[in-house]
Amino acid sequence: MSDALWVEKYRPRSLSDIVNQQEIVNRLKRFVEEKNMPHLLFAGPPGTGKTTAALALVRDLYGDNFRQYFLELNASDERGIDVIRNKVKEFARVSVMGNFRFKVILLDEADNMTSDAQQALRRIMELYTQSTRFILACNYLSKIIEPIQSRTALFRFYPLKKEDVISRLKFISEREGVEFDEQGLNTIYEVTGGDMRRSINLLQAASAYGRVSVETVYKVLGMVKPKAILEMINTALAGDFQKSREILRELLVKEGLSGEDLIKQIHRTLLSNDLQIPEELRVVLLDYIGEAEFRLLEGADDEIQLNSVLARMAIYGSKFLSGKQ
Amino acid sequence: MESWVKGKPQSKAVMLYGRPGAGKTTLAEALARDYQLELLEMNASDSRNLKDVRRIAEVGATQGSLFGVRGKLILMDEVDGVNAKADYGAIQAILELISNSKHPIVLTANDPWDPSLRELRNMVKMIEVKPLGKTALKKILRKVCEKEKLKCGEGALDFIAEISEGDARYAIDSLQAIAQGYGEVNEETAKLILRRKEREYDPFETLRGIFWARYAWQAKEAVSSSHVDYEMLIRWISENIPVQMEGIEDIWRAYDALSRASIFLKRAKLSGWDLLTYTFDLMGPGVAMAEKGKSKGTWKAKWKKFQFPQYIQLMSKSRENRQVRDSILSKLGKATHTSYNKTLVDTLPFVRVLIERETDIGLALSQEELEYLKGEEKGSTSEARPYSRKRPRGKRS
Repeated sequence: MSDALWVEKYRPRSLSDIVNQQEIVNRLKRFVEEKNMPHLLFAGPPGTGKTTAALALVRDLYGDNFRQYFLELNASDERGIDVIRNKVKEFARVSVMGNFRFKVILLDEADNMTSDAQQALRRIMELYTQSTRFILACNYLSKIIEPIQSRTALFRFYPLKKEDVISRLKFISEREGVEFDEQGLNTIYEVTGGDMRRSINLLQAASAYGRVSVETVYKVLGMVKPKAILEMINTALAGDFQKSREILRELLVKEGLSGEDLIKQIHRTLLSNDLQIPEELRVVLLDYIGEAEFRLLEGADDEIQLNSVLARMAIYGSKFLSGKQ
Repeated sequence: MESWVKGKPQSKAVMLYGRPGAGKTTLAEALARDYQLELLEMNASDSRNLKDVRRIAEVGATQGSLFGVRGKLILMDEVDGVNAKADYGAIQAILELISNSKHPIVLTANDPWDPSLRELRNMVKMIEVKPLGKTALKKILRKVCEKEKLKCGEGALDFIAEISEGDARYAIDSLQAIAQGYGEVNEETAKLILRRKEREYDPFETLRGIFWARYAWQAKEAVSSSHVDYEMLIRWISENIPVQMEGIEDIWRAYDALSRASIFLKRAKLSGWDLLTYTFDLMGPGVAMAEKGKSKGTWKAKWKKFQFPQYIQLMSKSRENRQVRDSILSKLGKATHTSYNKTLVDTLPFVRVLIERETDIGLALSQEELEYLKGEEKGSTSEARPYSRKRPRGKRS
């Protein structure tokens, strides 16, 4: 495990170390006392402690040897429900040693599963309920099918409060001997909106430039932004198709991005403030990007489809932006 | 050609390329005669695996000629006929031969743009042998008639020269066929026996056929009679759309049609090859008719050079980089309990900053992975073009 990344180094190890989400922590502690628990469903935005709470829970339950009782799966990484089924089967088959009657499976990003896959998951959960407990984690509760919601105990995670984030960042900075000013930490909170993972990553990256201040935080933010995508879009909108095509090739080759990766990033950029275009144009482009992603899913060629997107952008650019530049 | 032999050659080998019957082999033979070189010839009908080519190479390099001490000219005829599987290693052997040989080497090919010849193209001087014009063909035919004491009408000569499309071999063969069949060569007998030959188009002809087509059928015919594999042809078209078209709306329509073509290709693979015809429809007529100006009488074909597609090399490089990135993401994701996508968006950009600042992030990253992390997002990506170094573009001289 890498402890050089602060996100991991300062992840609370035990439920008692978790300073916020008190109500959740108290309920989870009771499971540890009873050495029993139902299936759990953790719902909440990124960076609010879902994975941390799950890891702390199993550590408190099983002690330092928790690894043999614990399986971590990522719904978006495992290819399909069959892979998940096999892994669960394999894991549950080996009988549990010692005092524990069950093992725990953490399935992260469960809301990325299709509802069919979730139905299959439900059956898997029932099949192995004697020997395993599931902790499902998701960002959007509404994307979890009702049968699963009704079979799990729900825990809602809320964005961390400003003082909790800041005090954690201070704690880490002091431990790491990092200089900081109050404004720098405030900026981190503002741009991450209470997402602890991003906050700590940002803190560590900014500290690599010396004192954590408004300047260093923005310096890092400037570096992590996907500039090339923005540049490609702006170039296309300005009508320079050839040059935007060159940037596209760079992205495909150097970054090794797939067509879908690129479309998703373009989509994100279209909705961000980094791109300054009339709102009308934003909507028109979003619509076309959706069409392009659909075509990619249908099997259209990456490079050709993206060239088509860039040419379309050049056309819209001349319609919406002419004379305004 | 002469300047290659006389001057100090930059490369030991030349590749003569051009349509069948343009005179590639004849040219090589004439060269050997003019400079009194002994010709060592190998062609497509010989089996050409690694061993065979090496044997010839050794013979050529070590043994003195039976006819005294003369230089040698090695002729590898029809290298594009080398079968990648049956002649396993042949291309490799030819490459070896070129770098080791003390003698000049002439390669010939109808289609030098085959991807398997890429390395070869970079090692040789490329010379195009243009097909013969009608006048030249008729001159040759007349000479043959004289020597063979044939009676032959002007109309017949015109007709033969016309249908041979610059292929001297075909023209002479035709003449012989008529002479042997009827004894006399005139326009009627010629028309009785000869048909316009059917041949496949090389990539440049195919592209010309598509981009210069005024009617859908012309573009469709160019695609269907191309001998370029259709997946490769899609690359050729994609590369050349913005070169051949100027209006951005035209360019968009062309890419849009080509994208539909690629979808139909996928559909054909999944649901049945009958659908392949729509792939051809869209990559041919679809692209050709994207140019709105064509409907006007004043439209003229542009004489712009067609470019070789860079996509193949680009994509293999891209695949390598993607593998490196995925391996980094899997290490990072495991260490931080996050999924691939979240690691990509939330962690990787910050890790890059840390690596750039020489911070040890504690994961057992390989040298390759570290270089990947260091190499990117440094300022603007628009000027640096690392892949252009190796861009192989056929020099047409």
